[in-house]
Amino acid sequence: MIAGYRLQRRLDADARRTAILRVLGAVGGLVAAGFFLLLTGRNPFTILADSIEAVFGSKRGIEGVAVQSVPILMCALGVALSLRMKVWNIGSDGQFLMGAFVACGLGINIDAPNWLLLVMMGVGALIGGALWILVPAAARAHWGVNEIITTLLLNFVAVQMVVWASLGFWRDSSSMVTQSTRIVPVTLPRIPGFDSVSIAFFVPLILAVVLWIVFRSTKVGYEIDTIGGNPRAAAFAGINVPRRIIVVMLISGAIAGFGGFLQLTGAPGAQALNGGGFSRSYGLSGFIVAALAGASFLGVIVAGLFISAMFYAGIALQTKGLSVYIIFAIYGLVLVGVAIGETAARYRLQKVATDGGAASAAPTTPTLAEATP
Amino acid sequence: MSTSEHRLAVEVRDVAKSFGGVLALDHVSLELREGEVHALLGENGAGKTTLSNILAGLYREDSGSVLVEGVERHFHSPAQAIEAGIGMVHQHFRLVSSMSVAENLHLGSPDTPKVVSSRTLVASARRMMDEIGLHVDPTAKIWQLSVGEQQRVEILRVLARGAKVLILDEPTAVLTAKEARELFGVMRQLVAGGRTVVFISHKLNEVLEVSDRITVLRGGKHVITRDAEGATARELARLMTGEEMGIEVEHREVTGPPVLVLEGVTARNSRGVEALHDVALTVRAGEIMGIAGVSGNGQTELAEVITGMRTCERGRITIDGSDVANTSTRHIADLGVGHIPEDRIGVGMVASAPVKDNAILRHYRTDELSSKRMLKRERILAFAKDIVEAGRVQTRSVHMPAGQMSGGNQQRLVARRESLVADRLLVAAHTTRGLDVLAAKQVQEAIVDRRDADCAVVMISDDLDEIMAIADRIAVMYEGRIMGVFDRAEFDRERIGLLMGGQTETEVVA
Amino acid sequence: MILALIENAFLSILGSAIPASTVVVLAATGVMLNERVGVLNLGQEGLIGIGAVFAVISVQEWGIESSWLALLAGMLGAAFMGAAFALGTVVIRANQVLLGLALALGGVGLANQLGTNRTGTPIPTETQFQELDPFGVFTDNEFFEAFLYHDAVTYLAYLVVPAALWFLLFRTRHGMTVRAVGESPGAADAVGASVMGIRFFYTVLGAAISGAAGAYMVLTITPTWSPDIARGRGWVALAVVIFAAWRPFRVVAGALLFGAMISFETTAKARNWDLPFLSASDMGFLLSMLPYLVTLIVILVPAGAAHLGRRVRATDAPAALAIPYFREER
Repeated sequence: MIAGYRLQRRLDADARRTAILRVLGAVGGLVAAGFFLLLTGRNPFTILADSIEAVFGSKRGIEGVAVQSVPILMCALGVALSLRMKVWNIGSDGQFLMGAFVACGLGINIDAPNWLLLVMMGVGALIGGALWILVPAAARAHWGVNEIITTLLLNFVAVQMVVWASLGFWRDSSSMVTQSTRIVPVTLPRIPGFDSVSIAFFVPLILAVVLWIVFRSTKVGYEIDTIGGNPRAAAFAGINVPRRIIVVMLISGAIAGFGGFLQLTGAPGAQALNGGGFSRSYGLSGFIVAALAGASFLGVIVAGLFISAMFYAGIALQTKGLSVYIIFAIYGLVLVGVAIGETAARYRLQKVATDGGAASAAPTTPTLAEATP
Repeated sequence: MSTSEHRLAVEVRDVAKSFGGVLALDHVSLELREGEVHALLGENGAGKTTLSNILAGLYREDSGSVLVEGVERHFHSPAQAIEAGIGMVHQHFRLVSSMSVAENLHLGSPDTPKVVSSRTLVASARRMMDEIGLHVDPTAKIWQLSVGEQQRVEILRVLARGAKVLILDEPTAVLTAKEARELFGVMRQLVAGGRTVVFISHKLNEVLEVSDRITVLRGGKHVITRDAEGATARELARLMTGEEMGIEVEHREVTGPPVLVLEGVTARNSRGVEALHDVALTVRAGEIMGIAGVSGNGQTELAEVITGMRTCERGRITIDGSDVANTSTRHIADLGVGHIPEDRIGVGMVASAPVKDNAILRHYRTDELSSKRMLKRERILAFAKDIVEAGRVQTRSVHMPAGQMSGGNQQRLVARRESLVADRLLVAAHTTRGLDVLAAKQVQEAIVDRRDADCAVVMISDDLDEIMAIADRIAVMYEGRIMGVFDRAEFDRERIGLLMGGQTETEVVA
Repeated sequence: MILALIENAFLSILGSAIPASTVVVLAATGVMLNERVGVLNLGQEGLIGIGAVFAVISVQEWGIESSWLALLAGMLGAAFMGAAFALGTVVIRANQVLLGLALALGGVGLANQLGTNRTGTPIPTETQFQELDPFGVFTDNEFFEAFLYHDAVTYLAYLVVPAALWFLLFRTRHGMTVRAVGESPGAADAVGASVMGIRFFYTVLGAAISGAAGAYMVLTITPTWSPDIARGRGWVALAVVIFAAWRPFRVVAGALLFGAMISFETTAKARNWDLPFLSASDMGFLLSMLPYLVTLIVILVPAGAAHLGRRVRATDAPAALAIPYFREER
C-alpha cells in the first residue's frame, strides 16, 4: 500500500502556528538576504559579525539602537493598532512628520515654562498625527475608499510640508545648515547613566503593554477585534463600525504623531526639523515590525527592537559595505518571508486516506498548487 | 457489466474520494443511461456533489474509475470533462456577472473566433439558442437577469459546448415554482433528444415528478438505484435518512398579545432596489410565523429591517408597542430580539475568533460579563461553556476558532446564543440550510422551545415542508410583498405554492 | 497681452505635461493589466526603480547605445521582479498586499543600491528618446509643437498601447477570458481557462510595462539616475487606475491630469508665479504638494459623490481583485 500525502488548506489558521511560521518566514527572508549579499560580493558572515559588534560591542551601539527604536516602535504600534481592524495604515511616515511638525511649530513659537511647553507639544503632536489620517479614515469608514493609497499619498504631502517649514517659514536663518528649522528650546530628560537615551525610550514599551491589556481584557478591544474578524458580525452585534474605524485610525495616526514629538524632543541632535529626512522612513520600518509581529503588541516590542538593531547596523556599517538601501532590500525579503510563512500556516500536510483495497490511489506530491480544502 | 439493452452514457466504478481524512465518497458505482433523467438523491453530505464534481472534472477521484461511452477517463480539469461530453451546472452559477449573456456563452469556447466584436457574439448566441431551443436576451448583463434566466444561460453554455451528459446540481433550490416547472420541461426535452440529465436534489416530490431512475446516496455510500415508477416519497425519505425523519410539533391556539407589528414597511436591498413594498405583518407572543417564499423575494431584507440591520424607508415597525424602525441593532437586541441570520458565517459569527468570543457577541456588554470598561474574563469563560453545553455544541475547546467547527455546530452555537437574547422575539432565517438531519432537528427544537416560552418567532425558510411542519401561521412572500397569511387550519400546499410563484390570492381562488 | 500670456503658459504646461505624464501613463497601464486579471501589485515604486536602474546599467555598464535596447533592459529587469511577485501571489498565493509592499520596499532598496555610484552621470543624448517630426510640420507652430512634437515612447504610451489593450480586452476571445479571470476566476476555470497561467503572464507583462515607465524616466525625463527615482509616481499610478475605472484610455486621461499638475508646478516655479498673499518660493512649496493632493481628491470625489447621491456604489474594480484563487475551496 502506498501512502500519499497532500497539502490541505484550511480557512482558519491556528494563531500560534501562524506566529511561529511568520517568524520562520522572516528568518528565511534573512537567509535569502545573506545569499543576496553574497551575490553582491559581500560576505554575509562578516557583515553579521560586524553588525553584532556594532550593536552589542559598545555602550554606544546599544544606546544607538535604543534611540532608533523609539520612532520605529511608535510607528509600528500605530500600524499594529489599525491592523487589528484589518486596516492598512501605511501613512505613518506622514503622521510621524506631521506630529513633529505641529510640535516643532508650538515649540519654537510659544513662550511658556518648559514643562507646559512639553505638554503642549505632546498634545499638538497627537492632534497633528490624527488630523493627517482624518481624511483617509473618514473616506474608508463612510465611503469604503481603500486606505492603502490614500494614507500613502499623504506621506508625500507631509514631506513637502516639512521641507517647506525647514526651508521656508520656520527656517533658522542663523544656522549654517540650509535645511533646518529653528531649534525647539525643550528636551526630554535623559535616563540617568545614559548619554543619549531619553525617557522617550519607555513610552512605546509602556504603550505596548497598555494596548496589550486593552485588547486582552476590555470591551473596546473586543469590539475592535470583532470588526477585524468580521465587520458584518460586528454590525450585527450592534457595534457602530464606521465610527470605530474612524476613531481607531485617528488613534493610530496620533500614536505615530506622538512618535514625531518624542523624536523631536528625545533623540540626540534632533531638536529641529530638517526636511523630509527627519523621518528616516520610520513608518516603513514600523510597518515591517507590525507585519512581523502580526499585530501582537508584545510581539511588536521584540520585532521592533530587532528591526531597530538591524537599522542601526545598516547605518553604522555604511563604510563596511552595508547601507540603508541594502537594509530596505532586506526588509523586502523579510516581508516576503512573512507573507509566505502566513500562507504556509494555512496548510497542513495530510495523509491521503487509503485502505488495502484501494492501493491504486496515486501518491500525490505535496505542492502548494495541489491544495485542497 | 452492461446487461440491459440500454446504451450507457457514463459508468462509475468503485469511485472513492476523501477530504481531510473524511471519506466523502465510499466506493460508489453507478450507471447513467442515454436518454434518461437520473436523479441523485441524498441529504447534505451524502456525496451527491462530490460525485458530480468528479464527473465534471473539478475533483480527482482517489480511486476507482469513470467510463464515458465505454472508455476509461480520468479528468484533470473541467475542460477535459466537457470535451468528453460531460457538463455541469453548479448550484452557484459560474457566470461572470459584469459580462453579457453572449460573452458568457462564448467564454473559453474553442469555437469562438479569435477576434470578435460584440455584435458577432450576439448573433452567434442567438443562433446557439435557436438550435438548442432555449432563449435569453443575449445582450443583457448577467447581473440584470433573474436567477432562472441565469440558470438557463448556464445550461445553454454547457449544451453549446456539445455536452451529452448534463449534471444539474440542486437546480430548483433557487427557482420559483413556475420556473421549476419550466426547467422540468427543458429536462424532458433534452432527454427526448438523446441526452442524459443528472438531477441532483433532496426534494422528493420533484425527483418523483421528473426522473426516470433514482439513485439514493447516504453518508458517501450508494444505497439503491431504482426506477422512479412505483417509488414513493416515504420510501425514498427512509432510504435517504436511514430513519423516519421530521420533527413533531404540537400546535395550540395562539392567544398571546401582538409582539411584532409591521405597517407599510418599505426597504431597499443592498443594490439599492426596493425589495420590500408596503409590508404589513403581526406576530403574536407564543406563535411561530413562517415566512414562505423562494429565496430572494425580500425575506432577507425583512429579517434585516426588523432587527435593525437595514434602513426602513417608510412604515412603522413596533416591538411590544415601541417604534424600533431605524433605531439600532443594539437597541433592538436590548428589547429582547434575537436573530439567527441567514448567512451565519458571514454575519452571525467571526470565524477566525475563538468559540468563546463568538458566544459572547451579543452579551459582552451585560453587567454579568463586563464592568464599565473591562471584560470579566472568568465569567465569560463560564458563560461560553454554558452556551456550548446547553446548545449541544460539539467543540474541542472554547478557545478553538469557531470557523473550524462543522456547520451544524456553528449553527447550534448561533441558535443557542440568539435564543438567550430572544426574550420577546426570535427572527430565524434559513436555520437548517446545509445542516444534516440531526443538527437540523435540534435547531428546530430550539426554535419551538422559544415559542413555548411565549416568545414570538419569525421563521424564514424556502423549504415549504419545514414551514408547514413547524409554523403556527404562514405568510407567503413574493417580490417583496406579503401575498397572503394563513392560519394552521388553512394550510394548503398547493395554494401556498401558487402564491410563492407570484399568483395573487384572487387568481388562486378563481 | 494677458491672453497671449495665458495662452503661452497653457501651451508650455501642456507641452511639458504630455511627456511628464508618460511615466505615469505607462506605470498605470501596467497596474491596469495586473488588476484586470485580479492581481493587486502595490510594488510599483519598486518596479519603476528597477526598470530605471537596469536601463542605466545597460547604458553605463553594458555599453548599450540604443535607447530601445536600454528600454528593453529596464523592462526585463522589472519583468524578472514581476515574475518573483507572481510566484508569490499567483502560484503560492500569499497575501498580495504584503508582497506588494515588500516589492515596493525591497525593489526601491535594491534599485538604489544598484545605482549607488551612478548618481549624476547623465545618459548620453544619443541614447535619450528624441522627439519625432516625420512630416516636418510638428514644429511649424506652437500648437502643433505642444500637442504633437513628442518622442516615440510617448506616442506608444498614449495611443498605441492603450488601443492595443482595448482591442485585446474587448475585441478578442482571449481578452474575454482575461477579463473573466479578474472578475470571476471560478467561472473562467469552469470553462477551461488556466487561471494561474493567465494571472502569471499578465502580472509579468504588467510589471514589464511599469519597468518601461522607470526606464523612460531615466532615459529621457530626468535623464540621469538618482535615488528614489519614482518619487511617488508608482503610488499615483495605482490611484489613477482607480479613477480610470480600469479602462485603457481613461488611464491615459487620469495620468495626464497628474502630469498637468507636475508641469503646472514646474512652469509656475520657473516663472516665479506668486499670489498677493504668497511669495513665489512659498507658492513653489505649496505647488509641490499639488500633484499628490489632486490625486487624492480624484479618487475620493467619485466615491463621495456616489455615496452622497445615495446610489449604492457600483465599483468597476475587477470583482476578484487581490483575492487568491483556490479551485477546490468549498
